[in-house]
Amino acid sequence: MGRHLTMIQLMELDACMHCRTCSSQCSVAVAFEGIPNINILPSEKIASIRALASRKELTPEELRNIQEGVYLCTNCYRCTVVCPAGIDLQKLWFDVREILLQQGYPEYLVLSPLSFYRGLMKEEMAQRDYEEPLTQAREAISAQCDLMKRKDKALPLTPTDRPFQNGLNLSAQAKTFSVCFGCQTCTTVCPVVANYENPQEVLGLLPHQIMHAAGLGVRDLAFGSNMLWDCLTCYQCQEQCPQGVCVTDVLYELRNLAVRYVREKTLSSSGKTL
Amino acid sequence: MKFALFLGCTIPARLKQYEASSRAVLEKLNVELVDIREFNCCGYPLRNIDFKVFLLSSARNLALAEKKNLDVMALCKCCYGSLKKADYLMKENASLRKEVNGALEKEGLKYEGRIEIKHLLAVLHKDIGIEAIKGKIAMTFKGLKIAAHYGCHALRPSQVVGFDNPVAPSLFDQLVEVTGAESVDWPMKLECCGAPLWGVNDRLSMDLTLKKLTDGKKSGADYVCAACPYCHLQFDKVQKMILSQRNLNHPLPSVLYPQLLGLNLGIDRKALGMEMNEIPITGIEELLAAETELAKQPESTEKIESDKGSFLESRGKDDPK
Repeated sequence: MGRHLTMIQLMELDACMHCRTCSSQCSVAVAFEGIPNINILPSEKIASIRALASRKELTPEELRNIQEGVYLCTNCYRCTVVCPAGIDLQKLWFDVREILLQQGYPEYLVLSPLSFYRGLMKEEMAQRDYEEPLTQAREAISAQCDLMKRKDKALPLTPTDRPFQNGLNLSAQAKTFSVCFGCQTCTTVCPVVANYENPQEVLGLLPHQIMHAAGLGVRDLAFGSNMLWDCLTCYQCQEQCPQGVCVTDVLYELRNLAVRYVREKTLSSSGKTL
Repeated sequence: MKFALFLGCTIPARLKQYEASSRAVLEKLNVELVDIREFNCCGYPLRNIDFKVFLLSSARNLALAEKKNLDVMALCKCCYGSLKKADYLMKENASLRKEVNGALEKEGLKYEGRIEIKHLLAVLHKDIGIEAIKGKIAMTFKGLKIAAHYGCHALRPSQVVGFDNPVAPSLFDQLVEVTGAESVDWPMKLECCGAPLWGVNDRLSMDLTLKKLTDGKKSGADYVCAACPYCHLQFDKVQKMILSQRNLNHPLPSVLYPQLLGLNLGIDRKALGMEMNEIPITGIEELLAAETELAKQPESTEKIESDKGSFLESRGKDDPK
């Protein structure tokens, strides 16, 4: 796999008639309802990729939108199967994805199960090219979490970050962090925690501590902990919690909030808007 | 018996033998399957990114099935878990349901929560039933030891999925034993396969997968058995990658449950995709013995290597049939 599209792929871009059959069959087209990025739709990605291939000057914002659009894909191959022009769309998304990831804009979606397919394809990539985007996404998140960098992690008593706490309300489940009484059962049964001799060193906050961080409204510690991104969502913690805290569901929602927060913060700091 | 078959994204793209073997098995058991082409992603990977998008994605599938008055059968446990979760949340929370229906309305769809969501294994166990399956079995396995892998998103959160007892499940073990195989006891039976972190944190994912498979092997299993595309790909394609990367030999091959049961039902091995797994499972076929014709069986044992061969032979002699 190269850093450029092949000649055939460039010709394929011109073969697209914009009939939108791919978008009508796309497994994740429905995501466009909630995430206003036109590049989620396969038929619309093509126009952006044409601009990219013609070396048009694109803003970082535009590049990141294309990158998010090509990553938000379950690699189901339906677009390729239905394309009347016979374009190998799936391969095109995959290649553009890798080209963009190497340009250095962190992509937070690499930390989701959407990466499973990329993992299956890793033997076709150079190891460094494969690992870099994963490291970069984690680093970009922890760069926004100042408190993580402080050794003592001394917390100011006030004010509690209410907007953050109240943000954990997407489902009724996520509110349950407030009844945690700190018994650490979630941490004890977590297979990820059990995998390390010194889990805190690798994972940062452990599950019960993340529940505390949510209770205290300390966003930085929750978002900046590797534990949040290394959670399997195996639901052992939630199943065993004697207090009925929906630990896994809280972690899911924290990931949602973290992605949104970091994206907004890094966009405003680069001074670019849509 | 009729279901809308929910294949999800991974099976048609990367695990065709799971679809083929499931269809073949269900046909033999007189289950009618309806394909709804408009189905989309179950929402599982989207849940990490945006809760509302997850919910809408999941609910759209349920609304499509509801429109046809069909219960949904999922083959993937992550699809199953996601659809169940969305169903649960929308039954609990009227305002979420209203919001989702607002978006679905544009397509003339509506979620009302009238249909059931089931996993293939539960359909086999509860709707069809062990006895009915037994009645259709032509051949059983002799001397085969299987490590049944339940899969997290089928078992937990039990309050949402209600698949089986989350601490001491037996549904899958019973289904394995109906094939004549022994379902071994293994301490890590209910642990995660490691797939959710493949592509995200490969080192950790490898550690977890390897720990689980080693445990299965140590407990005496010849094969691990899965009924989920993520778990199976992790145990098959990814296990192969792990073994080469960590310089290990002796895999614990993974067989998909409908491949296993399909052999019992006398379905053609090609239709079950027996050659399509990355880590070969064809050795399993040599452990098949016709249920009523055990006496005629010994001539086929010459192919079988050492210990299993002798076990089978002695079984054959002792068996009163």
